Amino acid sequence: MTNRLKVLVGGVQLRDGVGTVVDLLGRIATRAGLHVLANERNYASTIYGAHQFDPILICEEPPLSHGDDQVDILVALEFDSNPDAPQQPNRDTILRHGAHLRDGGVLLYDASTGTVPTQALEARGIRVFPLPARQIALRELRREVVKNMVVTGALFRLLEFDMDQRYLRALLEERFARRGQDLVDLNLQAALRGRAIVEEVLRERGWGDVGYRLEPRPGGEPLLFLSGTDALGLGAIQAGCRFYAGYPITPASPLLEFMDRYLPVYGGRSLQGQNERESIRAALGASLAGARAMVGSSGPGISLKVEEFGLAGAAEIPMVVVDSQRAGPSTGMPTKTEQADLRMAVGAGHGEIPRIVLAPSTLEECYTLIMEAFHLADKYQCPVFFLTDLTLAEVRKSVPQRLFQETRVRITREGVLTEEEVQRDGFRRFRLTDSGISPRIFPGTPGAVFKVSGTEHDELGFVTTDPPKRQAMMEKRMRKMETYLREDARGPQVYGDPVGRPVLVGWGSTKPVLLEARERLRAEGLEVAVVQITHLWPFPTRLVKPVLEPATMLIVCEQNYSGQLADLIQERCLLPTRRILKYNGRVFYVSDIVRGVHRIVRHGAAEVRVAEALPVAVEAHEGE
Amino acid sequence: MSVQPAARTSASKVWEENAVPRHRIQWCPGCGDYGVLNALKLAFTRLELVPHEVLLIGGIGCSGQIRNYLNGNGFHGTHGGPLAYAVGVKMANPDLRVVALAGDGDTFAIGVENFVHTCRRDPQVTLIVMDNGVYGLTTGQRSPTGGLGQEFPQFSEEEPPPFSPLRLALAAGATFVAQSFSGDPKHAAEVYVQAMEHPGFAFVNDFSPCVTYNKFNTYDWFRERVQPVPADHDPTSLEAAWELLADFRRRGRSPLGVIYRSPRRRKAQRRVPMWPQELEGVDLEPMLRAFR
Repeated sequence: MTNRLKVLVGGVQLRDGVGTVVDLLGRIATRAGLHVLANERNYASTIYGAHQFDPILICEEPPLSHGDDQVDILVALEFDSNPDAPQQPNRDTILRHGAHLRDGGVLLYDASTGTVPTQALEARGIRVFPLPARQIALRELRREVVKNMVVTGALFRLLEFDMDQRYLRALLEERFARRGQDLVDLNLQAALRGRAIVEEVLRERGWGDVGYRLEPRPGGEPLLFLSGTDALGLGAIQAGCRFYAGYPITPASPLLEFMDRYLPVYGGRSLQGQNERESIRAALGASLAGARAMVGSSGPGISLKVEEFGLAGAAEIPMVVVDSQRAGPSTGMPTKTEQADLRMAVGAGHGEIPRIVLAPSTLEECYTLIMEAFHLADKYQCPVFFLTDLTLAEVRKSVPQRLFQETRVRITREGVLTEEEVQRDGFRRFRLTDSGISPRIFPGTPGAVFKVSGTEHDELGFVTTDPPKRQAMMEKRMRKMETYLREDARGPQVYGDPVGRPVLVGWGSTKPVLLEARERLRAEGLEVAVVQITHLWPFPTRLVKPVLEPATMLIVCEQNYSGQLADLIQERCLLPTRRILKYNGRVFYVSDIVRGVHRIVRHGAAEVRVAEALPVAVEAHEGE
Repeated sequence: MSVQPAARTSASKVWEENAVPRHRIQWCPGCGDYGVLNALKLAFTRLELVPHEVLLIGGIGCSGQIRNYLNGNGFHGTHGGPLAYAVGVKMANPDLRVVALAGDGDTFAIGVENFVHTCRRDPQVTLIVMDNGVYGLTTGQRSPTGGLGQEFPQFSEEEPPPFSPLRLALAAGATFVAQSFSGDPKHAAEVYVQAMEHPGFAFVNDFSPCVTYNKFNTYDWFRERVQPVPADHDPTSLEAAWELLADFRRRGRSPLGVIYRSPRRRKAQRRVPMWPQELEGVDLEPMLRAFR
C-alpha cells in the first residue's frame, strides 16, 4: 500500500468533469477507510473553457496537510484542444503540471485525438498511459458522459484498487437508484474498458505495476467526505442557526446553497438577498425577532455590509458574519485564496463597536468554532466575524462521523428574558450593567416592548446626545469586550515548546501546512514551535503574549501582502515579528514554509515573499 | 419597558405609553407627520392591536422618529433599510405586526432597491411613507418625489422631474397600493386599517407636508389637488389601477384611497425555532447522509 498518494486531475473547466473524477475518487477512498484531503481546488472565475485542476491526496493515516505541489499521478482529461490554448491539443494539463510530476510517477491522459510527445517525462522514469477515453465512450459505449468512468476505471487499475468493483458498484447503485440498473451496468462496463486499456499498456511495456497501490482499510470508524463549507453549515444548524441570508458570491455561494437546502428541514429560513445589504439587513431583522441568524459572503460583499456591522454593534443585535476570504482587492481573483481581510474584520466601519473575530484553522474547526460564534454573538449581542477563506470553504476531506455526532453544545440564548422574568425583574433594553451585557427580549413577549436604535440612546432606547448618557452607553457597550476577554477569549493553540526556539505563528487555513513544516524542519535538525491564533479580536494579549515572548523569533506566516496578523501582534504585544508571505493565489506548500524558515533563521531575512518555484506554462485568459 | 394591561387605560392612551411624551416630540409645529401619528393611533385602536405584538421600524429622517412617539416595539436601523429589516423580521416571526414608517428619501432614493424587491417579496408588512418631497432633517434638499406639480421649463441631471411612487409600486408587483393625506387623518386611518388587514405587503403613500422646507406642496396645495378614488373604481384590477393613475395625472389631481389590492397566494409560514428547547437535540442525519 502506498501510504501517501497525490493525484492531480486536470482538464477543461465544465467540459471535462475534473470535479466529478475527484469527487468519485474521494468518496470511494473515504468509504474504503482511507483518508482523503483535496485542499487545492483550482478553477477559474469563468464557467467554461479555462484550465481546471484539482489535486487530491489519499493516505493510510490522516495527513497533516496537503504537503507540496509534487504529484504522483497526473490525470489529463483534455481530449482535444483547450479552447483557450488551441495550439496545444490535449496537452494543457501535461504542460502545466508535468514538471510537478515526481520522477517515477504516472501520467494518464486522454489520447482520443492522438498521442502527445512525452519522451521528456519518460526519461524521468514516468510511466505514460495514453487512454482514448472519450473515443471509447462515444464509439463503443455510445454515451459521452461515461468518458470519466473510463478514466476512473483506468485509474483504479493503476492503483490496483477496487478490482472487484465493490465500492464503485455500490456508489453507482445509490446514485442511479431511480434511473435504473442499465445505467449502473453501462458505467461499470466503462470502468472495465478503462481497466483493459491500462492492462494492455502494462503488458506491452512489460511493466508489472506502476509502483502505487491503494488498499481499502475496512472496519475502521465511519468517515464522511465533505467540504469545509458543509462542516460550517452543519455546525451552524447544530448551534441553532435558523436564519441565513447570502448573495451569490464566490466562494461563499455553496454556504447559501447548503442553507437553502437544509434550513427548511429544521424549520428555518434561508434568503438569497437582492444584494449584499438586503441580506444582512434581513438577517438583522430576523435576529431582532429572535432567530439565531448568520450572513455569509466574501470580501467584496463584506465591504458592502460594513454599515450594518456598525448598526449591529450600536443596536446590540447578535449577528454571525462568515467571510470566506478570497484574493482582493476589489474583484481581485474570485477563485483564488487569500487571508487579507483580517484588518477589515477587526476595524471596518465608522465609529467604534464591540466585535469578536474568530478564525477556524481546519475543516473540523469550521464545525466546532462556528458553534462558539453563535454563543458569543448571543451572549455579547454584537457582530461575530468568522474568517474562513477559499481554501477552508472548498477543502474536501474525510472526517470521522463521530465528530458531528458527539460534539454538541447546549444552547442557552443567554440574556433573553422570558415573560415571567420580565414581570419579575422589569426590563430596560440597554440597562447599564457591570458586564456591559443588557437584557433583551424577543418582540412579542407579553408585557414588554423595546425601543432599539443605531442612533445613540439611553437605557430605554430613546435617542439622546446628552454627554453623560452617551458616555455611559458607549462605555457599557465596549465593556462587553472586557467581559469577553475575561470570560470567553481563548489563547492560541500551541504545538511544541516555544521557549528558546523560533515560533511559526499563523491564523486560518494555513495551520496544517505549518504543522507539517514543523515536522520536516525537525527532521532537518531545526526545532520550531507552531502557535495558531483562532480568537483574533478583541486581541487576547494576556493569553498570547506570554506564549510568544520566550521565543527566539516570531515567524508569522500569512497569505497576504503586508502581514496583517504580524502587525496586530506587534501592535498588541510589542514584540518584533518576521514574516513569510504569499499572495499569488496559491496555497502555502510545506516547502514554501521550510525554505522561508531557512532564509530567516540561517540567513537573517526579515521577510520572505514566496514565489512559485516553477513557471506556469500557460495562463489562460480569465474574465471576471 | 413594561406594558400596562390594556384594561387599566383607555384604548387610545395605550399607544401613548412607553413613548416620548407629546410635549417632547421634535417635529415642527404643523408637521404632516402629526397627522400620520394620529391616524396610526386611530388605526391601531380600531384594529385592537396590543403594543407588544407590534414592531414599528422607522427610517432615517424626521418621519422615522414616529417609532418612538408610539407604544410598541420600535427599531431604527440604517438609511434605506426599514423594508429589508422588515422582511427578515417577518420571515423569522410571521406573528408580529410589522409597520415600516419612513420618508420619501429613505424609501425612494437610498432605499429604492428594498422598496422594489419588497413589492416582489410581498411580506405581510405595512409601509407608510411620509412623503413631503424634501429631506427635512438635513434642511430641505429635494427628494425623488420633490417638485410634484411644479412647472419645469427644462430638466437636467441635477434637477430631474419627480417620479411616481404609486406607479413604481404597481410596476414592481405590489399587491396593495394606496394613498392618503395627513391633512385628513380620519381618512388616512381608514386606509391604514385596510393596509394592515392586507395579507401581504401594503404600501401607503401619505402626503405629509413639510411646513418648514417645502413651501410649494403645502396643506392648501394638497387640499386643492387631492380627490378620493371614485366609488366605482375596481381596486382588484391592475388595468383599472393604471387607468386611474393616468386619469388623475391628466387632470392634474392626486387620488386618495386604495388604488390597487390583489392578495397573492402565499405559502403558510411558521415562526422559526428560537427558544433553547426548540433548538436542542436536532437530528443531523438528514445532512450527514449526503456525505457518506
